[in-house]
Amino acid sequence: MAMEAASTGKKERRSGSLQRTDVRAGWGLLTPAGIVILAVTIFPILYSLFMSFNNIQLTTNGFQFTFTGLQNYKDVYSAPLFWHSVGFTIYYSVITVAVELFLGLLIALAIQNVERLKSLSIVVMLIPWALITVISAQMWGYIYNGVYGVLNAILQGLHIIHTQVNWLGQPFTAVVSLMIADIWKTTPFVVIILLSGLQMIPKDYYEAALIDGANAWQSFWNVTFPQLRGSIALAGLFRILQAFGIFDLPFVLTQGGPGTTTTSLAMLGEETLFTNLHFGLGAAVAISTVILILGACLIFLSAFRGMVGEEAQ
Amino acid sequence: MKTRTKNWAAIVTIASTSTALLAGCGQTQSANTSNGSASIAPKQNTASTNVVAPTHLVNYSNASGSVVWAESFTTGPVAKQLVSAFEKKYPKIKVTMQVQPSSTDTNRADLTATISGGSATPDVYMGDVIWPAQFAHAQLAAPLSDYLPKSFWNRFSNGLVQGATYNGKVYAAPLFADTAFLYYRKDLLQKYHLPVPTTWEQVKSEAATIVKKGGAKYGFVWQGADYEGLTCDFDEYLADAGGSVLTNGKASLNTPAANKALGFMRSLITSGVTPKTVDTFQEPQSENVFTQGQAVFLRNWSYAWSDSQNPASSKVVGKVGVTALPTFAGHGSSGYSTVGGWDLYLNPHTKNLAAALQFIDWMTSPQAQEILAANSEMPTIKAVANSPSLKKYSPVFALLPKVKFVSRPSQTPQYPSVSKAIYDNVNEALAGSVSVGTALKNANSQINSAQSGSGSGGL
Repeated sequence: MAMEAASTGKKERRSGSLQRTDVRAGWGLLTPAGIVILAVTIFPILYSLFMSFNNIQLTTNGFQFTFTGLQNYKDVYSAPLFWHSVGFTIYYSVITVAVELFLGLLIALAIQNVERLKSLSIVVMLIPWALITVISAQMWGYIYNGVYGVLNAILQGLHIIHTQVNWLGQPFTAVVSLMIADIWKTTPFVVIILLSGLQMIPKDYYEAALIDGANAWQSFWNVTFPQLRGSIALAGLFRILQAFGIFDLPFVLTQGGPGTTTTSLAMLGEETLFTNLHFGLGAAVAISTVILILGACLIFLSAFRGMVGEEAQ
Repeated sequence: MKTRTKNWAAIVTIASTSTALLAGCGQTQSANTSNGSASIAPKQNTASTNVVAPTHLVNYSNASGSVVWAESFTTGPVAKQLVSAFEKKYPKIKVTMQVQPSSTDTNRADLTATISGGSATPDVYMGDVIWPAQFAHAQLAAPLSDYLPKSFWNRFSNGLVQGATYNGKVYAAPLFADTAFLYYRKDLLQKYHLPVPTTWEQVKSEAATIVKKGGAKYGFVWQGADYEGLTCDFDEYLADAGGSVLTNGKASLNTPAANKALGFMRSLITSGVTPKTVDTFQEPQSENVFTQGQAVFLRNWSYAWSDSQNPASSKVVGKVGVTALPTFAGHGSSGYSTVGGWDLYLNPHTKNLAAALQFIDWMTSPQAQEILAANSEMPTIKAVANSPSLKKYSPVFALLPKVKFVSRPSQTPQYPSVSKAIYDNVNEALAGSVSVGTALKNANSQINSAQSGSGSGGL
C-alpha cells in the first residue's frame, strides 16, 4: 500500500515537473544544432538580404555600405541576362526533374522486382550519384568533345552521323547534353528514395489486389502509385531545390555558353559576386533565386498537397 | 492549416540551404583557366608612363622579418628557386609560400575574401595583369608607387607599368609577361612547298590546301570558348584590322574593323579550316589537337613551345616551328599579340611593409628575372628582356623584337563585365547562332552599360 502510494505520488510529480525538464533538455539538445543553422544558414541569408539593399564598396576597412533601397533589384530586373538565366534555370529544372522522376520510378520498380543481386544492382546504380560532379562533368566533357569525343566516335562508327557534331558548341545540343549528364547523375538519388517508399508498401495490399483479380497495371495504378505519392513528392521537392541551383555542370562543360545560352542563376550570381565584385547586385540575384525556389516549391507542393497530406497522416 | 505551416517551415529551411549553397559556389569551382590570360597597355600607349611621386617613401635596405607570398605558378619548382635565392641574399627576411588555386578566377575569389576580410597575410601576392584597376578600385591592392621611388619603375619594359597603373598610381610590379605566337608544322609546310605565313589570309589558304591534300585533319586551331581567352584572341584580330575595343572610353565595336575581325574568325569555321568545335576550345583543347599532329597551325601562348617539344605528350617533337602572329594583308609585316602575364601586388593590411617591398624589389631584379627566364617565363625588366643571351632559354624569346603588343581594355574596374560582353557575343557568333553584325552590336551596347559601372552593367 505504502509503496503504491509512493509510486503514484512520484508519478504525479513526474508528469508535472519532468515535462518542464523535458522541454528544457529538448532546447538544450537543440541549441548546438540551432546555433550551427543560425550561423551558416539564417545569418548568411539575412546578411545577403541586407547586402541586396545596399551599394557595397570594398575598402581597406572592409565593406562600406550605402543604403540604396530597391536599386539593386531594379538593376537586376532590367538586365536581359537575368531573365535569360531565370528562363534557362526554370526549363532546365522542370525538364530534368520530370525525366528523373519518370526514369527513377521505372528503375526503382525494376530493382524492386529483381530477385538476385539486388544489393549489387543498387550499388552499381548509385555510382553516378556518388561521383563528385566536377569530376563526372570532366568525363562528360571527353564524351561530348567535338574533335576527340567518345560520343562522336561511337555514332560515326555506327554510321548514325557522318560529320562530327559539336555537342557543347551549339545552343540546342549544349542544353540537351547538359540535361543528359544531369539526368545520368541524379536519377539514382530519385531511385533510392522511391525504392525505400516501395519497400514500405505492405505485401498484403498486393495479395488483396491479386485476389480481386487485378492485373499488373491495375495493381500498379491502384496500389503502388497511391502508396508512393509521398515519396515521389519528397524526391521531386529535393530535386527541384537542387536543380534550381545548377552550377557545376555548366561551369565545367560550357562556361555558360555558347554565348549565354547555359548561364544559370547560380552561375550568374557567382560571377556577379566573385568575378565582377558587385556584391550588392550579386546579393540581389541570390535573394531573387531564393524567392524563385520558394515559389517553385510552393507550386510543386500545392500540386502534390493531397498526396503529401495523406502521407503525413 | 497545420500541414500548411509545416510546409512553409520546411520550404524556408530548405530554401535557406540553397542560398547557402549559392553563396558557397565561389569556393567550389574548379576548372582549368590557364594562366594564359592577362594583359598590358593599350597598343597606342608606347610612351613611358608618368608615375606620381611617392608619398611615403620607405627605406627597406635593412628590412627584416617575415613575408607571406601567395604564389600561383602552375608548374615546376620556380617559386621555390626564387624564394631560396632571395633568402640566401637577404638572410634577415624569411619568406613563406602560400600556394594559390591554379584557376585564375578561383584565385581572385580567394584573395578577395581574404584581403577584404582584413587579413594581414599574404603580404605579397601574385595576380593577373588584368587585375590592377579592379583591385585598386576595391582597395585590395596597395599603391606601390606611394612607397617606392619613381626611379624604381624605369627598370620595366615599355608599356608594362602603364598596364599596372590606375588613376596615376602603380598598383602592381610586373613579375613575368606572356604573349601569343603562331605555331606551325614545318614538316607539312615543307612537304607542300608553302612559306611560313605572314598574313591571316595566307594562314587560311595554306591550311585549306594542306587539309585538302590530306596532310592534316584540321587547318588552324585557336581558343574560341566562352571565356577570357576568347577576348584575347578576338583583340588580336581586331587590332590587326585597325580597330580597338574602346575609343575615347566608349565601345567601338560597331566599326568595319570589328566586322572584319569577327567576320574572319567566323569564316575560318565556315570554310572548314578551323573545326567548328573551336567554340568550346580553351588552351588545353587547342594545344592537344596540335600536339597530337592533327592540325597545321596553332595560336597559343609561349608555354606551348616547351609542351610541343615534350615527347611524353607530343607527337610532333622536332616538327614544330614558331613565328610572330600574322596580320591581315596590307596591315604591316606582323600582327598584334595580346599581352598577358602576372604581377606582384602588395596587401594593404601588411604588417611588414619594408620586408615586402624588399621582396618585390628583388623579384624584379636581374637575378630573379634570370631564374624566371630559365624557367621559360618571359622577363619584364629591360636588363634581362633585351639581353641577347635570352634566346638560349626558348626560341620564342628570339621573336620578341618582332612582336607588336595589344592589351585588353583592362584599365577600368569593370573590366570583367567588359570582357564578358566581348567573349559571350563573339562566342555566340562563332557558334553561328547570331550574325556577326548582331553579335558586335550587342557587345557594343553591353560594354557601354558595363562601363557605366553601376546598374545592370555589373551583372
